[in-house]
Amino acid sequence: MIPDVSQEGKSTAEAWKPSENTPVIMFDRVSKSYGRINALGGVSLGISGGVTGILGMNGAGKSTLFKLMMGKVKPSSGAVRLFGADPWKNPAPYSRIGFVPEHEKLHDWMTAFEFITTFSRLHGMTKKEAEIEAKRVLEFVSLGDVLHKKIGQFSKGMRQRVKIAHALVNNPELIVLDEPLQGCDPLARTTIMNVIKELGAMGRTVLVSSHILNEIERITEQIVILHRGRILALGNSHAIREMLDQHPHKIMINCENPRELAKELMQIEQVTGMSFVDSESLLIETKHLGEVHKQLPEIIIKSKQKVTGIDNIDDDLESILKYLTGGIL
Amino acid sequence: MSEELPIQKTEDDSTSFDSNTPITGQTKMQAAWSTNNDLENNDAQVATTQQGQIFEQIYRPWEGQLNPRWMRNWSILRHHILGIFKKGHRPWNIPTKLFIFFVIIASMTDVAMALLFGMIGEPTLYGIWGVNRDNLYGHVMGFFPRNILYYPIVAALLVGGMISEDRSHGTSAVYFSRPINRFDYASMKFLSVAIILVLIINGTLAIYYFVDILVMGKGWAWIIDTFPIFLATFICGLILSFTYTAIGLSLSSISRGRFFPAIGLIAILMGTKAMASIIDTLFDKSVLYVISPYDSVAHVCQALIGTEMTYQHPWIWSLISVVIINGLAIYLLANRVSSLEVTRE
Amino acid sequence: MSSKMDTVWSKLDRKSTAIAEFTLRQYKTRLSTWVVMIAATLAMMLMLLFYIEAMGSEIEPFDNDGDSFDNDGDGYPNGQEIKEGTDPNNPDDFPADVDPDPPEKWINEDDINWGELSDGENYVGEDDDGDCQNKDTPSQRDSNDNGNECDISVRLDIQNGTFTIDADGGVDEDPDEDKYGKEAGHRAFILGIGKFGIIYLLGIFLPLFLATGLIREEMSDGTIHYILAKPIARGEILLYRMLGYIGITWPFIIALCIILCIITGLTGPSEDLFRWEDIVVWMSIAWAAMLVSLVYGTIFCGFGIIWKNGVILAILFAAWELGMAFVTILSGGSSSIRYVSVIGWGMIIVDAGVAIAWPDNWYLIEVGLWGGGHGDENWLGEMSYLALPGAEPLSAFSGGHNLGVSNWLALVISTLVLTIQGIASWFIGQSVFKGKEVD
Repeated sequence: MIPDVSQEGKSTAEAWKPSENTPVIMFDRVSKSYGRINALGGVSLGISGGVTGILGMNGAGKSTLFKLMMGKVKPSSGAVRLFGADPWKNPAPYSRIGFVPEHEKLHDWMTAFEFITTFSRLHGMTKKEAEIEAKRVLEFVSLGDVLHKKIGQFSKGMRQRVKIAHALVNNPELIVLDEPLQGCDPLARTTIMNVIKELGAMGRTVLVSSHILNEIERITEQIVILHRGRILALGNSHAIREMLDQHPHKIMINCENPRELAKELMQIEQVTGMSFVDSESLLIETKHLGEVHKQLPEIIIKSKQKVTGIDNIDDDLESILKYLTGGIL
Repeated sequence: MSEELPIQKTEDDSTSFDSNTPITGQTKMQAAWSTNNDLENNDAQVATTQQGQIFEQIYRPWEGQLNPRWMRNWSILRHHILGIFKKGHRPWNIPTKLFIFFVIIASMTDVAMALLFGMIGEPTLYGIWGVNRDNLYGHVMGFFPRNILYYPIVAALLVGGMISEDRSHGTSAVYFSRPINRFDYASMKFLSVAIILVLIINGTLAIYYFVDILVMGKGWAWIIDTFPIFLATFICGLILSFTYTAIGLSLSSISRGRFFPAIGLIAILMGTKAMASIIDTLFDKSVLYVISPYDSVAHVCQALIGTEMTYQHPWIWSLISVVIINGLAIYLLANRVSSLEVTRE
Repeated sequence: MSSKMDTVWSKLDRKSTAIAEFTLRQYKTRLSTWVVMIAATLAMMLMLLFYIEAMGSEIEPFDNDGDSFDNDGDGYPNGQEIKEGTDPNNPDDFPADVDPDPPEKWINEDDINWGELSDGENYVGEDDDGDCQNKDTPSQRDSNDNGNECDISVRLDIQNGTFTIDADGGVDEDPDEDKYGKEAGHRAFILGIGKFGIIYLLGIFLPLFLATGLIREEMSDGTIHYILAKPIARGEILLYRMLGYIGITWPFIIALCIILCIITGLTGPSEDLFRWEDIVVWMSIAWAAMLVSLVYGTIFCGFGIIWKNGVILAILFAAWELGMAFVTILSGGSSSIRYVSVIGWGMIIVDAGVAIAWPDNWYLIEVGLWGGGHGDENWLGEMSYLALPGAEPLSAFSGGHNLGVSNWLALVISTLVLTIQGIASWFIGQSVFKGKEVD
């Protein structure tokens, strides 16, 4: 083997081939404990295709799950398989994976282009190939204009996108994003969410973790809820929501004349209670959130009331968890 | 306010998005940023709403009583020093604590020896280990092992993360958000390292001297004879601790990691010493020792204590060198701390 | 296993250049790298100044045998009177037919001229000033009783490295201090700065500063995750990071050695413009420093991986190596504990290089320590000679490789040992790294 010092020409070695007919990600009764702390307890999970959101509060085990997946830590028991291979022992599957770590620290002294080129070459690309790829992925996350700017000068959202771009460089089949939306402003959030959605549309397996339900729901319907190292719920978010609809929800409506609006809203069967918070807002209670939301717009238009805001006030992860765990958090 | 807005409003705001717009990433992203992401030519949406409200600003001065400055400084100091002994204060790492313990024990070998031979009544051996001019000098300034293995390494471990880790962990921001100025912060850090060193070096020196008096039942005549020497040695211990602390902390203030200041301190102390001794061996010239902090202090101490001089150049040169080295280090430290950025780096 | 070899361990060249290049650029952006290198260069230059000053000033000649004096005050120095056969202590007895010599002529008048030596007994030396030939009886002229008048008997035992000098009185007794002192001082400086300055100080502090955090700093920053999420084995990462480290330290060491070689080669005493023979010594110093810094670098980097306070282990290790450096140099290469160190093997490379480049080095030392045979007898009846200037430092910094093989073989063996040490520490480092959970 003559070293390819000139770094030109096509890559010659063949790409790593995963075992056939295995799920992209497979967790088989995986536990992980750090000393006395049980970070993950007997999680079994198989994911192939589509965008999946991993939801959980801080310390629920999301990061541990990803660390196990990326071979950063060794499972205390059970087996982790990526494309059928054990990531702790064999880094080969990473040739098909793009990973966006949650750590904020980047190599600030490099330009975005240099950073991505350098790390692409670790996939065995030549310098030329890596440069072409780097341009492509940076365009994809719309950082094409700031290619040659130092990463240290970037805003948080841009840095997050650099990290995503770096993970896309090898055309990965599996993309793992650890808290990609954390610390970003709403604009950056939207951008990143769109990128993730697009990746899903391209047929990649995407894994996103977050502790904010709304964010995940804007990206995907397929969710996994982790709590205290265990899987609490898994599946389509609609289905989970349906189950959740059985418990009382609260909707806050901000309008000019809440009492007038309340009269109109009495028409909806599913509304079980109403209260006036102040002179400009109305709180309705229901057990069937979906139904209410279906009828709500029509009634508001009919009532000719000026509504300035509608908010599902307890539609966050915490309240869902509270419900799922029977109130014990 | 002039009529002209400093930033031009984008012309095209017709693009709208609803749930039916196909997901292409590109278009949506531009919309989200409302700009082409061109940092040079930044177009942004400017709010056009006519309504606005100005809130009345009332500042109420805080009328509480602030503790006196020394009290705040004292709390920083004890936070660092007590961390060596108990939990709940600055978390020194275990190896540092262990090493300090080891050094305290190891630097009392002369106490143990003097006691041993004093008790069993072995006058010649007691003469070797007991308190005298040379032994007092050796307790503080002896090169091997004290000033190669013990004191510099303790200093290196102490200064290692003193300021640099505060910077990288973001805890310096916590300090500076309190009513504490940078000078107090730096000087308390300095004092706490220096005090720990003084406790080790001068503490064991005092034990050595007073144990000898007590156990051997020395008379007043002896004490009057030797006390000035002890005092001179004590001052030497202070100079040594001060010098090591000054160099170490200035290194800690200019770097980020924990490795650099520790290695840097040892490199400066050992490197200059080694260089000077190579030149001394080769060309029989001791002048280069003035660049070595240890040797300069040692030379000054030889003059102070009155032991035999081991250097050929006049000790005033070494004294000047000690002053310059400390001055430079303190200047660097003060300069760096006053311009320290308190962001988490 | 074979499938793994085909995959992760493929395209190594590309990955290696990527990581090495990355590491190099990372070093370049760090201020500490430059501070360390500039400080090291300044330190070397400072020492060089002392050397240049020493080479530029003449060593004051010393009249070892005292024959430049005029005991009887007749205007003729003692040496001239002895040569002419008159009595130096009688003011009325002087060689009237010749003019008196200036006293300076009788300082350094009998320089050492020994030539090649071989194993066993050698008869060397020459009585340049005639103060031996003019002695009265044959037994006075052959005071060492070896059957030859006015010579020096040197008994050399190459096997044991012993050296016995027994000179007839008045032979080579007033050597040229300046000539000897410059040559010995020059060599001693090269060995001193080479062994202690470059191989030990640079060899240990460059890795301490540059290699200890090579992996650990990435780990504590969290930036290691970007590399770890790539299809590359951890052992490889360590290897290529070390490659980047070499990329900055080796050129630095080589450049420093070249600069020092040129300056000392031009300044040092020589008949030519340049001391060509020193090049081999400088090459061995550079080579030893390169290997030593590589081994230390791998070890310190490994310490950094093992423990987040790895620098403490590194400093303790450096202290051990400092001790070994002293032991190796003070024992002149005869202690065997140096074999369990890194620095000891580095010094063997230099000692072998010295033996190749300056085959007369040990001989120069012995001559200088003998210094014309003047001195006092100690209470055991052994002579303790007054050494010539420069002889003691040269003796202190010189040593034999003492491996019992030829010099070239000693070079090869010590290179091999250092390489094996490097590979072993890489192997340990990578197996620790492999089993390390990275948070």
